[in-house]
Amino acid sequence: MTKNLFHDKTAQWTIYAVFFLCLAAIPAFVSDGFLLNQFATYGVYAMLALSISLCWGFGGILNLGQGIAFGLAAYGMAMTMQMQSQDASNPLPPFMANNSLEQLPFFWEPFWNTGFGIVLALVVPTLFYVIFGSLMFRARVSGPFIAIMTLAMLSALYTLILDMQPYTNGVNGISPPAALHIFGTDIDPYSTKAYWIVFALLLLTTVASKLLTQSKFGLVVQALRGDPERVRFLGYNVALYETVIYTISGLIAAIAGCLWVMLVQYVSPAQFDVTFSITMVIWAGIGGRLSLLGAILGALMIQGGQSYLGDQFLNTWLLLLGGFFILVVRFLPRGLAGLLEKVLGMVADRQPRESGPIARPLAPHHAVGASEK
Amino acid sequence: MPHIEFASVVNALILGLSIASIWLIAAIGLTIIYGTVGVINMAHGEFLMLGAYTSYVLQSFFGLPFLLCLPASFIVVAAIGLVIERGLIRYLYNRPLDTLLATWGVSLVLMQGVRILFGSDPKYVSVPEIFQSNVEFGFVSLSVFRIFVFGFTAAVVAGTVYLFYRTRFGMQVRAVMQNKEMAASFGINADRVYMTTFAIGAGLAGMAGCLFGVLAIVLPTMGTAYVVQAFLVVVVGGGTLVGSVAASGLTGELQSIFAMLSNDTFARFLLYVLIVVFLRFRPRGLFAVAKARR
Amino acid sequence: MGILEIHNLNKSFGGTHVINDFSLDVTELTLCCLVGPNGAGKTTTMDLITGRQKPTSGRIVLRDDDITGLGEHEIAQRGIGRKFQVPAVFRELSVRQNFEVSYSQEVNPFRNMFRRQPAGFKSRLDEVATLTGLKDRLHVEAGLLSHGETQWLEIGMVLMQNPAILLLDEPVAGMTESEIEKTIVFLNQLKKNHTLIVVEHDMSFVREIADVVTVMHMGSFLAQGKLSEIENNPKVREVYLGEPEI
Repeated sequence: MTKNLFHDKTAQWTIYAVFFLCLAAIPAFVSDGFLLNQFATYGVYAMLALSISLCWGFGGILNLGQGIAFGLAAYGMAMTMQMQSQDASNPLPPFMANNSLEQLPFFWEPFWNTGFGIVLALVVPTLFYVIFGSLMFRARVSGPFIAIMTLAMLSALYTLILDMQPYTNGVNGISPPAALHIFGTDIDPYSTKAYWIVFALLLLTTVASKLLTQSKFGLVVQALRGDPERVRFLGYNVALYETVIYTISGLIAAIAGCLWVMLVQYVSPAQFDVTFSITMVIWAGIGGRLSLLGAILGALMIQGGQSYLGDQFLNTWLLLLGGFFILVVRFLPRGLAGLLEKVLGMVADRQPRESGPIARPLAPHHAVGASEK
Repeated sequence: MPHIEFASVVNALILGLSIASIWLIAAIGLTIIYGTVGVINMAHGEFLMLGAYTSYVLQSFFGLPFLLCLPASFIVVAAIGLVIERGLIRYLYNRPLDTLLATWGVSLVLMQGVRILFGSDPKYVSVPEIFQSNVEFGFVSLSVFRIFVFGFTAAVVAGTVYLFYRTRFGMQVRAVMQNKEMAASFGINADRVYMTTFAIGAGLAGMAGCLFGVLAIVLPTMGTAYVVQAFLVVVVGGGTLVGSVAASGLTGELQSIFAMLSNDTFARFLLYVLIVVFLRFRPRGLFAVAKARR
Repeated sequence: MGILEIHNLNKSFGGTHVINDFSLDVTELTLCCLVGPNGAGKTTTMDLITGRQKPTSGRIVLRDDDITGLGEHEIAQRGIGRKFQVPAVFRELSVRQNFEVSYSQEVNPFRNMFRRQPAGFKSRLDEVATLTGLKDRLHVEAGLLSHGETQWLEIGMVLMQNPAILLLDEPVAGMTESEIEKTIVFLNQLKKNHTLIVVEHDMSFVREIADVVTVMHMGSFLAQGKLSEIENNPKVREVYLGEPEI
């Protein structure tokens, strides 16, 4: 049987390499700091799409609350950066003084230390996912109910942050006045340095995710997407596997949250907005949830399109996006990457010696394809 | 613990009933659609919004009295729901997650479509003078319109119960819910049942939207404010009518009591967290329907 | 003493008793057929053994190890494999991947992240694929297999688990005559190395494979013995009166 090029591991890794080489070439051509910052922001969105692809595409866990990890981490990072602008003589961020707070709240104290602050920004959402995830998955909440529960949790956090005005500055959010200072240097968000940091972390998370999907763990996760009960009877602790993949996906979103604040020096409850979290799902859905790179490209295409085509016609753009998303769900459940898979499959089938994957009786007459990889 | 006065508790309880009736009327269309058709309709909030806009248009441009706007919103939004069901939803009945996503796309399209047509500035639906006054119940003061909403919700629930438990159509719906194939073999057209139910659900949402147009301002984004609550009512209730009534009563009262002890926003946070914890122990809701065996 | 012992098992839903004081001893390396009219509680018994449902009372012991009330995956890890009534395979994965998932010697998610192919997998795959006749179909998506092949795949998946006991729920349902014949040969070969419990309606099939037949009726133990003894048992005849298979 001629193999579909789409499933060829070497071809896949080659495409990933080409993609990242293209990204690496961007700073050589773009000198405008503003543009570079925008591209880096897209990289953050790509990371979010990647995280959605992992848990929804591979694990079948439709997470409509990925803003939880993204937002919590973003707040952690913003608090860290805010505290870099404070000192012992002036420990109170201006907005707290405006809200007539006299003392730094205890949960802001750890953020004096930059390293510790960033660690907290990553650990808190990760722990949240471990607890919330095991709560859901051990109760065998599944399918659409996970979507509703993550949505409810997201809304809950949104209202909480909005409500804690004196500690979070409510709807106005936190805007750290200076760029992140780390390892003895300032990370100017409009510099190539910032771009490379995002690039490196996107590369790292993508390669790690790709390897993960190819491992035995990844295979079990894909199996439980189809039939969790069957997987249970094979001896796997399904809730544990689901919690782990959900948490990994949350960790990636948390990294994205930190980077995002590093790039835009701002965070507000809008990062917990339901619409934003569902937008992440739309990126992955249109690009192709079963393909990590497909999801990444989906985010880049849609956010890029929004910036360049949509600025004047934002309403029309969103209308078209909604319509396009409906079409994709209806006709291309595997997104644009799935379309490519189909096309390559047809190409493979048209080659000689073909034997399409049609059901045949037992005892097939030829023994091609018994060995793999 | 602050000293709680008897009066404020009664006040909170009555306010809770009012909140419950608002959440229930928002959720009832969703309940029918989810309970019968099994579709998680993310465009539900936009159906509400369309109902509000329908009332606004009919009232401002055609001078239709408010009380006639209610049935008119039902008809218009039911028609829109019908089109969406025929054009999209019916192809996705065996793909629950995809329906959820597709209806999200629908919601985006509806919201942006309305924004392009009517702009982003707020519109208003006005009500007759009599609704604008307040009524005193001992130490509690409530607007007449809120009482009207409560009564109207009760009437809608009663009507829906009648439709689903006392009519031939209702019997067909329940037959299809229990066993689609068996119902089909008795000559019930499941496709038609789904279609009609979806349209009725959409129409009920439209009618609720007409009320919300009065309670709040009419905006393209107004639906999103109600949709999460509506979902939680349905999920906590388990997708049945009686479940939704119980769930909205419970959540409405809790919201009101929490709000009395802290404030509205924090009360909502607490309520959502409680619901998530509740669902962990009863993932199928208050009134769970038994799961089919493998 | 049997490899699997069921002591005084009870299961009730609300007030309805589905399983009534049911006991069973399964001897190692035998094939035990569980028969009985519809609603006798055969599938529920399977569910109770594999942890899908929890018994109201009673004990289930696997090789001196009390497994009553454990989770499905814990029971599976202790060596009980189950094939479902409606074939349950991973339709989006290839046949080979189905086998790979089923080779569940290592179930720790973190260790499985760093391992692609566990030791012994290749030879086991080869063995099972040959046994089930799916050697040439390894790359096919499981959703595209014929019904018979899907049944074989699921049996193969249970074998990949390498369980001490195999529970097969109606393994020949929907198979053609020739496929059933193949299954008979296969099961008879299998019981040389495995203990099997098979739920089956088809009496001619039971005749070909069973060492011991256990009859259930209304959730209770009715009779046990060789098929010939069972067929002449007056209690069994009464239960089956009017049913032509016996």
